[in-house]
Amino acid sequence: MPTRKISLSALLFLLVYVVQEALVTQLHIAGGGFSLFLIFALLWAALSTPDIGALTGFVAGFLIDLSQSTNGAVGQWTFVLILVGFGISYLGLGYENVRMNPFTITLLVTSSVVVARILYVLLSLLLGEKVGSFTSIITSLLIGALWSAAIVPILMPLVARAYDVIDDSRHRL
Amino acid sequence: MARGGDNRGRLLLIILVITSLFLITLDLRGVSVIGGLKTGTQSALSPIQNVGSIVLSPVRNFFSDIIHLGRTRSEMEALREENGKLLTQLRERRSIDAQLEQLRGALDLAGKAEFKVVNARVISQGATTSFTQTITIDAGSDNGIRPNMTVINSYGLIGVVKTVYPSSALISLTSDPSFRIGVRVAGSQQIGILSGQGTRKGVLQLLDNQSTIKVGDILVARGSVNNRPFVPGVPVGEVTSVDNAAGAVTQTADVRFFANFSAISVVSVVLKGPDVDPRDSLIPAKPVPTPVPTVTVFVTPSQSPSPSPAGSD
Repeated sequence: MPTRKISLSALLFLLVYVVQEALVTQLHIAGGGFSLFLIFALLWAALSTPDIGALTGFVAGFLIDLSQSTNGAVGQWTFVLILVGFGISYLGLGYENVRMNPFTITLLVTSSVVVARILYVLLSLLLGEKVGSFTSIITSLLIGALWSAAIVPILMPLVARAYDVIDDSRHRL
Repeated sequence: MARGGDNRGRLLLIILVITSLFLITLDLRGVSVIGGLKTGTQSALSPIQNVGSIVLSPVRNFFSDIIHLGRTRSEMEALREENGKLLTQLRERRSIDAQLEQLRGALDLAGKAEFKVVNARVISQGATTSFTQTITIDAGSDNGIRPNMTVINSYGLIGVVKTVYPSSALISLTSDPSFRIGVRVAGSQQIGILSGQGTRKGVLQLLDNQSTIKVGDILVARGSVNNRPFVPGVPVGEVTSVDNAAGAVTQTADVRFFANFSAISVVSVVLKGPDVDPRDSLIPAKPVPTPVPTVTVFVTPSQSPSPSPAGSD
């Protein structure tokens, strides 16, 4: 296994996770804000193959589950992001016009954020957890989608660059 | 490359999904390893969050301030020049002053009710990605905080301590969808259950179908056995609308929480409640309108009519 690729990826994920937990959560952002880490993980998955996408979803989901701001059962986000991570990478696989186009990537990641959150709500309801009123959920989903659409184009060049650097190191190995 | 995964990819996906379901099962069954992992993560992140809180304190409210700009644009234009000078001086002190104000309010409330409290700074506001409403404070079990303690600020009830770590604690806000609290209508004995809705608005359901409630009624916490999780008498919110649907078993009402959850920076955790229920003494006084002086002029008509001006026909 490409040890260097895994360790560099893990380090990057941990870094973004710490930034999310220590800095982004400090900002009082309108409408509840966004999850930088979730967007980052889905962008990473969108650039990967389906099995790496699923693995990315697993790691990212587990870290979100460990976050103090997550009230649901540990494993809930893991489950959701495995499916969404696999799905987003599967959709882009083989279609370079999708994967290489910033607009389609933005659309794909923004939709994935919304789908992931809807799956999370459905899973929460299945597990008997309280998720709030229908209106607040819809509002939160809409605002989350808008924030994602705004953040993805900013984050995409950085993530793509980091992905390329780490991926090249694998080829060199 | 062929579309879709091969057998190895499918096997990996299945293994990952089963692992996640296994994690959910373990957590729902209360296996301590999972809880320990979460506690460990929070303990590790707590010092970094503290540093982040200090670093970001001058710009914390920047994003939420943006949305209010259009509301009073004309007024802001007039005040911009004056504010520019003042902001320069106040920038460094602004965050501290806001915290002091909230702290003073919370201490006033706690002092009036004879609560024993620990004050704490909010070091993280939970993202609403998971549809939950939480904050993290920089005081934990080392400061005497235990789960299920009431958390207040100058306006009243903020929430309840959910999870405690050595140097931090997770607070579930009253606006959280899973939050339920027994409340009493101030000035009466009517009681009900107030539920969070994920926003600053809550829903009150009266327990007695003979009770009536009206807009403007103030709600206070009823209190719990041994004052945990709720100490009695803490103001919670105000009724904003009443649902008078015919045929309803019990009356429901919309409630606006006193606390503004998006701008909390300092809170107080009640370590020990009062020996005597403070009843309605903690309810904030309604603002008294400033009297406007009126001038009354009395005009007494003269006895003999004055002659008409010369030249008039």
